[in-house]
Amino acid sequence: MARTSTISVKVVAAESLHKRDVFRQPDPFAVITVDGSQTKTTKTAKKTLNPYWNETFNFNSLEDSILVIQVFDQKKFKKKDQGFLGVVNVRIGDVIDTSLPTSEETITRDLKKSNENLAVSGKIIVVISHNSNDSASAAAPASSSRPSIPQLNGAAPPAAPSGDAPEALSTSQPAGATANKPYSSFEDQYGRLPPGWERRTDNFGRTYYVDHNSKTTTWQRPTLEQSELERGQQRQTATEAERRQHRGRTLPGETPQSPDLPSATSATSGNVTVNATGANAPVSPAAAVSMAASGATTSGLGELPSGWEQRFTNEGRPYFVDHNTRTTTWVDPRRQQYIRTFGPNTTIQQQPVSQLGPLPSGWEMRLTNTARVYFVDHNTKTTTWDDPRLPSSLDQNVPQYKRDFRRKVIYFRSQPALRILPGQCHIKVRRDHIFEDSYQEIMRQTPEDLKKRLMIKFDGEEGLDYGGVSREFFFLLSHDMFNPFYCLFEYSSHDNYTLQINPNSGINPEHLSYFKFIGRVVGLGVFHRRFLDAFFVGALYKMMLHKKVVLQDMEGVDAEFYRSLKWICDNDITDILDLTFSAEDERFGEIVEVDLKPGGRDIEVTEENKHEYVELISEWKISKRVEEQFKAFIDGFNELIPQELVNVFDERELELLIGGLAEIDVEDWKKHTDYRGYQESDQVIQWFWKIIKEWDSEQKARLLQFTTGTSRIPVNGFKDLQGSDGPRRFTIEKAGEANQLPKSHTCFNRVDLPPYIDYDSLKQKLTLAVEETVGFGQE
Amino acid sequence: MSLKRINKELTDLGRDPPSSCSAGPVGDDLYHWQASIMGPPDSPYAGGVFFLSIHFPTDYPFKPPKIAFTTKIYHPNINSNGNICLDILKDQWSPALTISKVLLSICSLLTDANPDDPLVPEIAHIYKQDRSKYEATAKEWTKKYAI
Repeated sequence: MARTSTISVKVVAAESLHKRDVFRQPDPFAVITVDGSQTKTTKTAKKTLNPYWNETFNFNSLEDSILVIQVFDQKKFKKKDQGFLGVVNVRIGDVIDTSLPTSEETITRDLKKSNENLAVSGKIIVVISHNSNDSASAAAPASSSRPSIPQLNGAAPPAAPSGDAPEALSTSQPAGATANKPYSSFEDQYGRLPPGWERRTDNFGRTYYVDHNSKTTTWQRPTLEQSELERGQQRQTATEAERRQHRGRTLPGETPQSPDLPSATSATSGNVTVNATGANAPVSPAAAVSMAASGATTSGLGELPSGWEQRFTNEGRPYFVDHNTRTTTWVDPRRQQYIRTFGPNTTIQQQPVSQLGPLPSGWEMRLTNTARVYFVDHNTKTTTWDDPRLPSSLDQNVPQYKRDFRRKVIYFRSQPALRILPGQCHIKVRRDHIFEDSYQEIMRQTPEDLKKRLMIKFDGEEGLDYGGVSREFFFLLSHDMFNPFYCLFEYSSHDNYTLQINPNSGINPEHLSYFKFIGRVVGLGVFHRRFLDAFFVGALYKMMLHKKVVLQDMEGVDAEFYRSLKWICDNDITDILDLTFSAEDERFGEIVEVDLKPGGRDIEVTEENKHEYVELISEWKISKRVEEQFKAFIDGFNELIPQELVNVFDERELELLIGGLAEIDVEDWKKHTDYRGYQESDQVIQWFWKIIKEWDSEQKARLLQFTTGTSRIPVNGFKDLQGSDGPRRFTIEKAGEANQLPKSHTCFNRVDLPPYIDYDSLKQKLTLAVEETVGFGQE
Repeated sequence: MSLKRINKELTDLGRDPPSSCSAGPVGDDLYHWQASIMGPPDSPYAGGVFFLSIHFPTDYPFKPPKIAFTTKIYHPNINSNGNICLDILKDQWSPALTISKVLLSICSLLTDANPDDPLVPEIAHIYKQDRSKYEATAKEWTKKYAI
């Protein structure tokens, strides 16, 4: 029975066409004819033997209709043979059954010769379908009944996701998963996302999910089975775990932040024992009178500042309570009023600090155990008896340099610039609009106002801020303002929780004032001794200390890029790489060429100048690209924390100063550790864990920074540790010689531990590696 | 850097095309290519033509291209989305590699699968336990989807 129906013919591609010319490839196109009467033509593919057209045409057809597809070279179409490249003839009824309501078949046919008998080769791929239920739009349905068909969709997924603009992000695909059809951002191969959810891809091609209902983001795909209520509960449980972790963080030399009691009233022996090892070395009472600037003396120093009280521990040691800030300290607040230095003739010079001004950037003042003042230069890691602000004298028997975070913190806190100013700073926010409200409240006040005692109030909630409320405030605010949802910060490629500035933050025209705000909040937290629940990539802490970023820092920012730069350093690049001193920056889908130095795009990178290139491109990629944003951020920070004071810290210490120090569960750490070349029972491994257990929190944190790049521990413990390529457990690998230091691979959370022969050499080498290796990324 | 390098690779491919595979841009977008690989004669994929999509990152060649099969294939290191588990496309990538070299590596992956580092553990298991069953299924899939 002859019945007419509409068929659609999709000419997908041809393969391995005959190469008729020696020097050039054809520009092939196809001509599709049904029954010699209906004719359609594809677009022309350029210079290829494997043209890809992927075009669909509709025809009226009978079962007996003959479909003819001819391929020609467009450049020779006017010649006698018309650039003929092959033909296929198909009887429609042989491919699809038009009596069925719908059918679809993909055929791959060899191209045949014509009467001219010219040589022909290759195949052509065609999809023929019909749908009699909907003959009006018989184009090949998007959801093919056979997912196996090589659907080379014309609607190509957007190019590489790196640097995509948010609009582009919403349509791009999960990295690598070049699924057979492009999904909208509200679905994927597992089906639709719940209402209000969106799938996005970040600058590193990783998929994440945005919940517009709660304005939150997550790496985990939401499922339809879960109700919004259940998801809310799950989110709350996770937040509660994070809050617990946040509250547990401390700094050495400071009283732990007990969430229950104001520190001032709980400044009993309980608190004191925490510090029992002593910020200040014990001093004999006899020496106390003559010693310089000791925190232990009371006579001759005058009255305590208002709101301060001196108390004594059970052991009779004095400490000081600041009722203004509800904090306690070993340090006498009057200690900074005067300093005395030993002059060249051992006469004591006494000068008010105010006349000398602050110490130079990166310097710290300390006391020996005989209470003699000496000065530590953290820039050069040297010590001297000489006050750098006074003319120099001879340095003899000055204590050796030792990095001491506890002392640095005490010194830092004692500086006049970090003293809380009289008065109160009121900040009232709505819990569910914390970012917006805090922005208004914090930006309308002057930096001086922000240095007054902080009084945070959540709208509609009772409760005076004795610490607990502001702790909650910084916790919630840090979660919100660093949320990648706002495109200001993004998660680094190093793991999926350390943060870095999003180079594409300019999508928000106001972004610079937000960066200034965030800088202020970070400064505010440090100033008022509250921790943020946020951890940055190592390079950002270095930038905050005005240190030059180097290739090593690249590892934490973009591990793949780092490996390629390392490869360039380690190999002869002559005739292999075609590089110039320029970089390509993708800005909202547009690729912009940027010179790394004047005229850089015309300067070839050679074996001779490649190190300069590596240095410049690292600097560009890490800091130059986000220069504007960073400047706004650090300006905001410096409004509360003077640069020269923060410079006493190194980048690892700065991370702890901002984020606090968590109590690390060594048993959990050990339980989720893998070994390569070692076994848990090996002597060296047992020594390793013995040393870790003996270490204090800061040393443990420093080992974590050395091996994983951050002191942050996942909320659910070490089992969730992430590397640059997904979950990566902490790993100890047997590598290196016994005379070498341990090495780390922060991308993989791995430490290379040589088989040391005894406990002492392991301890000495491990301590040295953790203390002395500069920078985060260690290869 | 990437555009210049991609253009150079395209020229090199035209001048000296590798045997048994081909590659080139899909349209005007030089960052999106299509490639095809002929199933190696000494493998169960013989006779099949396998298409792949290639996406170059802006940072190419500092970062590996993203390559995936668009033709269905039965292989322990290639999953149903077409993703390929191949070290040189991940941590063993080096800027000295080119699309041509990568395609040849994929060809040799078709001849010699790596069942010890599988992307599809079920196929790897069959590959190790019952090689003839694996070959039969691979042949069947090739016939069904790639010829």
